[in-house]
Formats: sequence, C-alpha cells, structure tokens
Amino acid sequence: MTPLNRRDFLRSSALATLAAGAGARTRIALAAPEAATDNVLVFVYLRGGIDGLSLVPPVGGNLRADYEQARVATRVPASGATGALALPGSGGLWGLHPRASGLHGLYQAGRLAIVHAVGMVHQPVSRSHFDAQAFMEYGLNGQAGSEGWLTRHLVSGGLPANVAIPAVSAGAITSTSLLASTETITMGSGAEFRLDTAPWGWNARDNYNPAPPAAFQGMVEVLPALWQGSSPLEAKGRQALDALALIRPIDFAGYAPGNGAQYPSGALGDQFRMLANLIKRPELGLRIATVDYGGWDTHNGQGNPTQGYDYFGIRVEEFSRALTAFYTDLNGAGAGNHAARTSIVVLSEFGRRVLENDAGGTDHGYGNVALVLGGPVNGGQTYGSFPGLATNQLFERADVGVSTDYRQILAEVLLRRLGNPYLDHVFPGLSTYTPLGLFADGTGLAPVWGGFDRLFDNGFEVA
Amino acid sequence: MSSLHAPTLDAARRRLLGLLPATLGAEATAMRRPGKAPLDPAPDANPAQPSAVVTPPALVRWLNRASFGATPALVADVQALGASDDARWQSWVDLQLNPTAIADPEVDARITPARYPTLFKTLTQLWTDHHGETANYGVRMRPVSESECAKLVRATYSRRQAFEVLVDFWHDHFSTFGWHYDGGTVFPHWDRDIIRAGALGNFRQMLGEVTRATTMMYYLDLRSNRRDGPNENYARELVELHTLGAMNYAGVLRPDDPSLPVGTGNDGVAVRLKYVDEDVYNATRALTGWTIRDGHWQFPGDNDGSYVFRPGWHDNYSKWFLGRFIQSYKGETDGELVLDWLAAHPGTARHVCTKLCRRLVADQPPAALVDSAAALFGQLWQAPDQLRQVVRHILLSPQYKAAFDQKIVRPFAATAHALRVLGADFTPVWDNTATWTTTEEFTSRLQGTGHRAFYWAAPNGYPDRQSAWSSSGALAMTWKLLTRLVELRQDRNNASSPFLADIVAQTQAALPAGSRNANAIVDHWAQRLYGHAAEPGRRAVLVDFMRQLAAAGDELDLGTDTWNLNNLRLHYTQSRLRTLVAMLLCSPEFFRR
Repeated sequence: MTPLNRRDFLRSSALATLAAGAGARTRIALAAPEAATDNVLVFVYLRGGIDGLSLVPPVGGNLRADYEQARVATRVPASGATGALALPGSGGLWGLHPRASGLHGLYQAGRLAIVHAVGMVHQPVSRSHFDAQAFMEYGLNGQAGSEGWLTRHLVSGGLPANVAIPAVSAGAITSTSLLASTETITMGSGAEFRLDTAPWGWNARDNYNPAPPAAFQGMVEVLPALWQGSSPLEAKGRQALDALALIRPIDFAGYAPGNGAQYPSGALGDQFRMLANLIKRPELGLRIATVDYGGWDTHNGQGNPTQGYDYFGIRVEEFSRALTAFYTDLNGAGAGNHAARTSIVVLSEFGRRVLENDAGGTDHGYGNVALVLGGPVNGGQTYGSFPGLATNQLFERADVGVSTDYRQILAEVLLRRLGNPYLDHVFPGLSTYTPLGLFADGTGLAPVWGGFDRLFDNGFEVA
Repeated sequence: MSSLHAPTLDAARRRLLGLLPATLGAEATAMRRPGKAPLDPAPDANPAQPSAVVTPPALVRWLNRASFGATPALVADVQALGASDDARWQSWVDLQLNPTAIADPEVDARITPARYPTLFKTLTQLWTDHHGETANYGVRMRPVSESECAKLVRATYSRRQAFEVLVDFWHDHFSTFGWHYDGGTVFPHWDRDIIRAGALGNFRQMLGEVTRATTMMYYLDLRSNRRDGPNENYARELVELHTLGAMNYAGVLRPDDPSLPVGTGNDGVAVRLKYVDEDVYNATRALTGWTIRDGHWQFPGDNDGSYVFRPGWHDNYSKWFLGRFIQSYKGETDGELVLDWLAAHPGTARHVCTKLCRRLVADQPPAALVDSAAALFGQLWQAPDQLRQVVRHILLSPQYKAAFDQKIVRPFAATAHALRVLGADFTPVWDNTATWTTTEEFTSRLQGTGHRAFYWAAPNGYPDRQSAWSSSGALAMTWKLLTRLVELRQDRNNASSPFLADIVAQTQAALPAGSRNANAIVDHWAQRLYGHAAEPGRRAVLVDFMRQLAAAGDELDLGTDTWNLNNLRLHYTQSRLRTLVAMLLCSPEFFRR
C-alpha cells in the first residue's frame, strides 16, 4: 500500500527524472511550485495566557450573572458605549471586547469564528506559562520534545519539491512550533533581514548598478564559503545564509498594503505586513507562518473598558487592528484574493481564573477562547460547548473547563486546508478526529492514521 | 482540490529562481526538506572548501566561556600565572573569583558619576528623581538606559571578567524587564545592590534580597500581594523559575497525592521533592504583606520605594509548603521559612546548578558535573561564599576543560568579544535628544538580534541554547551588527569622527611597511580574533579576498580607499581590509564555544 505522499512525489516531474536516472546529479527544470494545496496557515500565539473572558465576555443569561459575580474591576459591560460588541449567532450569550471592532467586522462578514473552552486535555494540567506554551507547541500531549508540531507538518505535509520559503517564524528567535525545522526563516523584519552593513565598496555585487565584473565578490558572496563544514553550527550558519539569499531580492521597504489596509505601528503590525508581502508572492510558496504577541499575563491592573487607561484594551486594540489589516491586505479581488487561501488560528497557553484577584487582575486558569479567521473559515458563529461559569461547572472550582482539545482545531486546518492527512504524525498520540466544521473542506481528505511513511521522514537521500 | 497558481515571470522571480534547486545530491545541505533539492551556491562563488573544526589552545577555549572573550593580552596575562595550563587556569580562576581585589582602572575611568549619574544614586534618590518623573520619559528611564550602557562597558573593559559573566547569568536567572515603567526607574539599585552584590555569595541571602527588591516587587507584583487580595505572580515564578524549577513541577495535583516523592532537604528535614500548585498558593499566602513604601493610599507617608512588611496585610493562618508546616501568627517569618526551605531543597540545587553548567559548559550539561555541583551547592547552602565555591568547582572541573563546540556565543557576548579583540574605544551614553546617536544605533541593532540587555519581557530570562541563538534571524542580525562595528564612528553623524576601532591604523602599526601582504594580514587578524590560525580552507578564501588579483605575498597599499573596478587589488583597499575583519568576525570560529 503506497502511502499518499510517495504517490505525490512520483507525480512530480522532479521524481520522474530521478526514477530515470537515480544516483546521477540531474538538472531539474524549474517549474512553478505546484501544490496539492497552496493554502497558508498563520499560527498566532498570544503569550501569557490572554483573559478569554474579557476578549469574549458573556453578555446574557446565567453566564452574565455568574460573570458579574466574579468580575468587577476587570468587567466588560454587556452593552453601551464601552460595552461588548454583540456577536450574532451566539444565542445572545456572547460579545466581543469593545476595542476589537476590526475583528467584530470580520465576524459579521462571516470570516471570524470563535471557539469556546479550548485547551490541552492531558493530565496533569499545568499552570506554568513556560510548560504550557511548550507542551502546546511541541504537540506531544504533555511531553517536552525537540521539534515543533509545525515542523512535523512540514515533513509530512507533501509540499512540492521546489518550494523556496515554506515557513517563516516572525521574530528573532524561532517559535517552538517550528523548532528543529531546517527550512524556516526566522526574521523580525524583512527589510532588515539582509547583509548590508559592510563597507559599501565590498558589501555585495548588488550594491553596484550596472553589475561589477564577474571577478568581483563582496562579503555577501564570499561569506558562505566560510561556513562550510559538517558541524551543527556550520549547518545553521548555512541555513541563515540561504535564508538571507532568498529574502534579499524581495522589496519590503517599498511594499504598499493593498485594499486600504492600515496596519497599527509597532512590531505586530510590522510582522503581519511582512507576512502579507510574502504571501502575495506565490512563487515563494509560503505555507506556514508563526507570529507571537505577548504581554497578556495580567495579574495586576488588567483594566476594563470603562477606564481611561485600560491596559488589556490597549493590547486588544493593537491585536484587532493588526489582524484586520492583515486580512484586508490579503483580501483583494480576482487573482489578488489571497485571503481565500489563508487561515489564521489564534491560541494562548491557558485562560485566566474566573474569579478576579484583588489587584485588579486575574490569575492563571485553564480553558480559553480560540480565534479562527480567514477566507476559508465558516465564521460569524461560535463553536464548542461552553461548560458554564457556575462554581460547580468550573475546573478545580476555579477555571473555565476545556471541552475542545486544541489539536482538533489544528487538525482540521491541516486536513481541510493544508492537505495533510497524517494527523498522528503531527500530533503523536492523537487517535480521533472530531472537527468542529470551522473550515470549508478544500481537500476532501480523511485522516490517515499511522500512515506516514518513515522513509520520507529524514530527507530524500539519493543513492 | 488543487489550486495552481501561475506566477508572472517578473525579473525578481527569475533572479530568485536562478538561486533555486538545480541539482540533487547526497551531500548534506542547509535548508533541506524531503524531496526538496538543496540550494546550489551561486555559480561564480568561491568553491566550497573542505574544513575541519579547529580546536583552539586550551587557555583560549577556557577563557572564552569564563569571560566576554579571549584576547591576546588576556591570554598573555594568564600564561604568566603558572608553568602548566592547569596551574595557570587555577591561578586565574582563583584571582577572578576575588574580584574586589582586582584593580579595574579602565572601567573606573569610563563609569563615572559625570557620565552615568544614575548609577551612583541611592534607591531613595532614584525613587525621587526618576520614579517621580512623570513628564519626561527619557529622564524617567535614564537609570535603565545607563545600566545598559554600563553593562557593555564592563563586559568590554573590565578585568573582572568572570565576575561579569556571572552577573550576566544571575540577571538572566532572576530576570526582570529593565524597561518596566516603574521597575526600570530604580534599576541601578537592582543591578548594583542585589545582583552584583550577591553574585558570588550565598543563594539564600540573594533570594531574600531579590524578593524584597523594588524592581522585582513591581515586575512580578509582589507589592500587591495582600491577604484581602492575594497576588500569586511572584510566588509562582519564585518556585518555578528561581528555585525548584519546572523540572520539579508535578502539575495540578493534590499535595497529598501518593505519587509525589518525598526526600530530605539539605537542612536535614523531610521535604516533598516536587511541588504542586497548592505550594504556589501557600507560598503566596506566606509572602502576603511583603511590599514596598510606594505611597499606597493606606500609608501615604511611606513613599521612598524601600521594602516594608505590612502585618495588616499578612495572612496569618497556618500554611503547608512542600509538606512542611508553617505555624500561625508568625508574620514575616512565614516568607523567610519559604525562602529557607527553597534554598535548602535538593531540587533547587539541581535546577540552579543545571543552569550554571549550561551557561558555562554545554547546552546539555554533563550529568556528573551537575551532580557534583548540586551536591556542593547543597552542602554549602548556608555558607556565605556558597556561589563562589560552586562556580570554582565548575570552572576547575575536567568537564569544563574538555567541553568545546557545545555552545554558541550569544549576540551580546559576541559583540562584547568583538569590541575587545578589535581594541575598540566605545563608551555608550544616554541621549535624550532627537539625534540618532551611535549608542542608539548600536542598541537598536542589538535589539534586532533579540539580545538587547535587560530587554527580555518574560521572567524566564534569555534562552541559553544553540537552538535559540542559531536561528536565521539571530545569526543574521548578529552578523549585521558585528560587521557594522568595523565601520562605526564615535559620532555616526560626523564622517571625520574617529572609528570605534581603526582597523587600518592597527594593521599598519602591527605590520611594518613591506610586510602588508594578504597572507600576513589574514594571519595577523585571525590569530588576534580567534587565538589561533585560520583553518587552511578558510584562510585560502580570506587571502584570495584580500589579495584580489595581486599575489598573496604582494604588498598592498593600505593608504588608499578609492574606486578601481578595473584593478580590484586597488579597489577600495581600506574598505576591503575592514570587510576582511568583518568576515573573520562573522565566521564559525568566532561563534563556537
């Protein structure tokens, strides 16, 4: 029984050439990066444990009554000028933080879905940021590991043979989700990600116009020769140099966002702008991106929307504006509609305790909301069953419980949008697939349990 | 359902595709994925050179991890300390672990009250002058800005190098975000009176100082921890990050869960070996009332930022912590007991020593060394020089001496090492004007690497593994910064301002006229930057770059820097020399530890 991805490989021209002359160095004609799917997943991580009950507060029924018992200093009003924005399709129960007006528009347009009571289901539960983030991003059901879940997806996801830039981790230090990936470019700013500080005369050939004589080799051209060798350090250096070479021709400084998108100033807006630029260049083949946005660990002075200074609200607004601008930028017409193939999943390591503390803040909790956004998303509704806010409905009588395993959200986007059926290779230990229906089914694939061929696990070695 | 895109063949893409896979081969490649062919080097680049990892001389290797980088002068100093490398090393370590006895004239000349006034202010002065400053943000945050400047000055110029390495370690271990709006205003107190004062002393003592420190009180909210409104942020990180560590966390379990192991503390008393969340909550209760005089509405006259215990805020009832009982009505003693028991816990010894060994030896610290260091840490848990002795044990161990190529230098340390070996003259200073100064450019580039000083937002501190710092972003941004150092001037806005390090002048001073050929230049700078000769393959690449179309032994004219694309040996010769040095800095030899 030939595994699916081997068939895919054999279909491609690259492999056909290989089959003809295995062992020989073969020049492969460059083709456009064909894809089983060219969908993109942007994985956004809100570090610190965002207070989901403030981002998506209950506005009706018993939920509201329980909420108001527990939350005073951090309370989001149910209505009014500083009140929650109503979420149709939530049975009149839920609203969105008033400073997330951009996200609210996307929800009303059916592009944003909200999932309740999401979290990790392994025992014992952890309230350590660092453990919880790591567990979520390793995806090993409560074990630490050495590679991220997205790294395992890139290995098993059947990407075509000639993708230039499959994955980007926005920031300076690689996201744990992409740990150990040899094909991820980690960069905080595309415009800065180039070697351009050497003395002008000897920096690079492309400093000159017209091109210099062929014998001229600047630092950019020579440095790779100094990183040859087989030690792990040298391998990482060559990866960095390859990444620099790939990014160098791309114009970031001159990039103009499309469709009237206005990114907020700051690192988050800059990173989304950078990613939009890359996504709009399908020849690069970008499939996976990770973005971090932290500062959510509001033990103290969390704030609420009725206050002049609302720390939480300020962060929500920046977040909402950045995501909305990103979607808008991608949402062009016709061939410019990149939003149609882009899915964004937003997670945080845990929610916060229902009962606020007396420092105007909240402490570590368990279940939390997840946001899912993009062209392929069945938005404009809430998903997942919310366990309730009465004390006897809470985890450890303190936290929102978990009714949706976060892996099911990611499994669904992997299967229906990215075309990767090897769910238990990406999430070892996962044995059931119970999608919520968040994503339009673009692939028609079913999970293939235990089906990933290990021969392809470590690289395509030619004899 | 596939959806194919037919990209337009614009010029950029054509050029990009020219760099893409052209061959399949069996050699290991850089950005590799199953089925994806490796990236070919550009056709006219230098051919790949075979290379082996060069092992530097012992003293260079050992100094590189216990200092901010070996220099020829430092190596010469150490060689004069004994008849064998082991003897020299032991002498140097013992001298270094008594830092107050080491004169430090270069640092004293640069770190002065005139240049960095905030570093010489008391907590009370900082509180008044800066915490009280609400109009001018630059003035308000001057203390952390100057702390950042001083850190670079010390790393570059101090003769107390091992001490500075350890201070850097403890700043990461007890990490705070220096630019916290409140905590940053008194940052010199944190750096000088807490971290620097405690780095070679007793861990329990340092725990007490850290817990009471104003900067930490703000950063992890302990000042808001009251019995009528507990705040568990500090207690969690105290246990999870500062002492027992996540390695000893058992998760959300009952404290009497039978699966939880029990052992003996280094104080001889039974203790639960792993902690659960209930321990965090009880530690929170024990530390209620530990606060600062910050003008709280209940005590408006108390407003100088200093530590105070508020009995009226303290949860007086009994607590259980790690299986041990804390009696009711003992006030401030509750928190002291929590700190005592954590300091005496074998899990703390193991966690702290694992981190020390990771910093000093290898990303995967050798188990036997962690064991012996943790045992010593535990035995000495009440000794005033506990940390000095534990560090001495690690630095003199066979594992320390044998380790090589087990770590990557982190961006801040790589930068300080570069400034040291280039003989740079750089004293960063605070600036509150609209001008973009050299200091500000430097700081901004360091921030781009991800390793700007005191700039890590989370309390777990900067990572300490090759997997974090060999990412494409960290390496690329560090290469950019190191390269910039050879061009940077004292005043970046003045083209005739002297270089931070005048590479050309130093080369001319080191190599008399008649010996300024590519061979000699490369050999001189490689030996100087690395402490050993360049590996032959790399040396050939560098010599070829420096000589261009001259012979390797031909004299080069280092007095000119003009265009000459028709005769590359004359093309921007001085710039070429500086670029050569930049490439030496951006090579694996400079990053390997």
